[in-house]
Amino acid sequence: MELPPSSISDAAPVRAGIPRILLAAERVTVEYPGVRALDAVSLDFRAGEIHAVVGENGAGKSTLMKVLSGAVRPTSGLVRVEGAARAFARPLDAIRAGVAMVHQELNLVPALDVAENISLGREPARGLGLLVDRRRQAARAKELLGLLGSGLDVSRAARDLSVAEAQFVEIAKCLASDAKVLIFDEPTAVLGEREADRLLGLLRRLRDEGRAVVFISHHLDEVAAVADRVSVLRDGRLVQSFARGLDEPLRDATGAAVDEARIASAMVGRELGSIYPEKGAAVADAPAIELIGFGARGRSRGVSIAVRPGEIVGIAGLVGSGRTETAEAIVGLREAEGVLRIAGREARFAGPSAAMAAGVAYASEDRKGRGLHVTLSSVANTTLPSLGRHVSLLGLRIDARSEAAATARWVREFSIRCARPELPISSLSGGNQQKFVLARWLEAAPRVLIVDEPTRGVDVGAKGEIYRIIAALARGGLACVVISSELPELIGLAHRVVVMRGGTVAGELPREKLGCADCEERIVRLASGLDEEGRAA
Amino acid sequence: MSAAGRMASVQRFLEHWGVLLAFALLFGASAWRQGGDFVSPDNLRTMLNSNAAIGVLAVGMTLVIVSAGIDLSVGSMVVLAAALGTTAMNGMIGAGWSEGASVALGACVTLGAGLAAGSVNGSLVVFGRIAPFIATLGGLAAYRSMALAIADAGEIRSQSSTLFSKLGRGGIPLGWEKAGPEGEVVYAGLLNAAGKPLTLTYSIIIFLAVAVVAQWVLSMSRFGRHLVAVGANETAARYAGIAVGWVRFRAYALMGLLAGLAGLMQSSRMNSVSTSGLGLSNELDAIAAVVIGGTSLRGGFGRVWGTVVGVLILGMITNILTISNVSPYWQGAVKGAVIVLAVLVQRGSRD
Repeated sequence: MELPPSSISDAAPVRAGIPRILLAAERVTVEYPGVRALDAVSLDFRAGEIHAVVGENGAGKSTLMKVLSGAVRPTSGLVRVEGAARAFARPLDAIRAGVAMVHQELNLVPALDVAENISLGREPARGLGLLVDRRRQAARAKELLGLLGSGLDVSRAARDLSVAEAQFVEIAKCLASDAKVLIFDEPTAVLGEREADRLLGLLRRLRDEGRAVVFISHHLDEVAAVADRVSVLRDGRLVQSFARGLDEPLRDATGAAVDEARIASAMVGRELGSIYPEKGAAVADAPAIELIGFGARGRSRGVSIAVRPGEIVGIAGLVGSGRTETAEAIVGLREAEGVLRIAGREARFAGPSAAMAAGVAYASEDRKGRGLHVTLSSVANTTLPSLGRHVSLLGLRIDARSEAAATARWVREFSIRCARPELPISSLSGGNQQKFVLARWLEAAPRVLIVDEPTRGVDVGAKGEIYRIIAALARGGLACVVISSELPELIGLAHRVVVMRGGTVAGELPREKLGCADCEERIVRLASGLDEEGRAA
Repeated sequence: MSAAGRMASVQRFLEHWGVLLAFALLFGASAWRQGGDFVSPDNLRTMLNSNAAIGVLAVGMTLVIVSAGIDLSVGSMVVLAAALGTTAMNGMIGAGWSEGASVALGACVTLGAGLAAGSVNGSLVVFGRIAPFIATLGGLAAYRSMALAIADAGEIRSQSSTLFSKLGRGGIPLGWEKAGPEGEVVYAGLLNAAGKPLTLTYSIIIFLAVAVVAQWVLSMSRFGRHLVAVGANETAARYAGIAVGWVRFRAYALMGLLAGLAGLMQSSRMNSVSTSGLGLSNELDAIAAVVIGGTSLRGGFGRVWGTVVGVLILGMITNILTISNVSPYWQGAVKGAVIVLAVLVQRGSRD
């Protein structure tokens, strides 16, 4: 039955007749001191539906998900599970009610194996309940992973799993608790292109089983591809909803088809132009950094790349292709082999501080674990690598005013939403934190900047700002290496793209090829072991 | 504001100011229990004075704990440093050196021995990659045993006739002398219970100076910022270009130096070193004061002023219990309860 979408909030998918509402938020408001994070948001989540919630950083997505999963209590408003009003005091209450959150950060116990992690807290017992029934535990784990289409060995320790594998285990854990509603917070952010595709397939599978899937993502192409309904949050309010019929495109309330650009403009509240800045040219011929047969011992080898001042070189490749390890070896975080030249002089750094002294900075992809100190203030985070530039009294005393000025400058430059930079940086949304990852290294004024996943977890508007700043710095003579799993980003930003695979360079796309319509496919083919034309290499 | 919001702000308030509130309550209770005796300058000075050495240790411990470390060996470093320093001083006096030079050089030996012991701890932690708890547990056993071996587990009496104990007991009088009506010299200022001029002892001055400098280092200096960064997230600190090992090493070395200083303060006050008794379980009191003061045992956050208040709270509790004739055997139980309570009250958003 094709329901004419009568109003925005009534726009509903028609997949399963009249879908059962499993989880609903009713006029949920959350206030923090000085901020209204959510303002009377009403949304429902139905069985057999993938409902994507999108919005800019700080729009209130994470807060809403925290309310739904019991981590935050709303200031006012209700959460209903299958019609019954529930007040979750803690996440465990939500899990018991069948609402499970698959977190951005994975929460597996590293020392336990896959089966133990899946049944954690509800181990099948034997021997008067004193012993764990290992056989049933393993069988149950296999069954659940099988449901997800994964044949993962359940006896492997969680610490040996790749990020993608760990995510499957995390989802199996949710299924083990009989979750009817699964909330995915940026599930593809830590995955490469291929793993992400597989995950999207999994979301569809969960939906087809009749579960409600809540999907949060900054990747609007993914949203447009899998979501049955898209709700857009802006400044804590629900501004628009789009829905689709079976095998139809997303439509708005008037029935007009909706594409990614339309979703993006609903998010930012204005039309977006191209988010990629004009590409400049190299400003000098001599490379600022040159790798010759370089590698991170045991992880990558034979990497030869030269980057001139003013140039932006992209590095593509699947997770595990050795991109990050090679970058870490450059700044001395890993044992390096081969030749590294900085401004023509051979170099080998003992660590990031030595690299920085030579003007080479590396911004890590792992924002929470390596890129930032989440418990420290935004100010301290901004100046940490360059603290020596903000001191007085013979370098003994930190000059608080100089620090504050530097922080304020980057807040302005990146349009960071940060009212009180003296508070812990964890109080900011993920995208605003990500801007600080870049700011702290740019504050150190490097001549070579290596950025690893510079826009992970960042919304469209913020992405544009980050690209603009990288491009502007390049025009000013910075040599920049951008490592990314987002191909449109590499193609739109970089002068050329080097593709890595299995620890070494699989190929390179020069500037003229980046304009081609099929350049994205060419990169994917190189990254997955074919040649550019699709023949097995 | 909702009830939950009010609870959260009460929680935040206690987390931040709870230690001062507890101090005020205890102070009030003591004053009420003992009347004017407690708030007399003499009693307050005595309390500060007897806790000054522990205070110096607790201040150093704050910095170590901020770096996400711990030092269990401080009490043993105190006794080893004091034993070596006093032995050296006695040796010089015996060899006919002047008392002034002997006391001064002995003090240097004490401080140097502390610094050396702390550097050994730091090297084990940084270069040996041994967990701080284990490395300094080794120090706890080893340094005490060295001190015992030096004196056959006995006492090392100072051979200095006056100067050494003057260092430990002397101070600056809290008053001044002036001419009386008939031209005689009269003292005007604070008096102690015996009617003698009250002095601000060197121990108290050292304690407060160490605390002020340490608070400055922690909140205003690069070293302090690096300690916090290493304690909050060692990996992220390494990625940010901080020489993590060097930062941690300096924290332990500094702790050793301060243990030497505490050893000097205590041995000069006693005018002797009891190798079996001096510094015994000082590490527990120091860690307790740090925890009561609101510094996170996980590292990455700390405040020296909180530790100073923590030291005073522990001192006041002992004082009250002693005056109230509570058996010393029970005092440990009360202190233990206070420590646990302090952590409960301050446990908030940070955990």
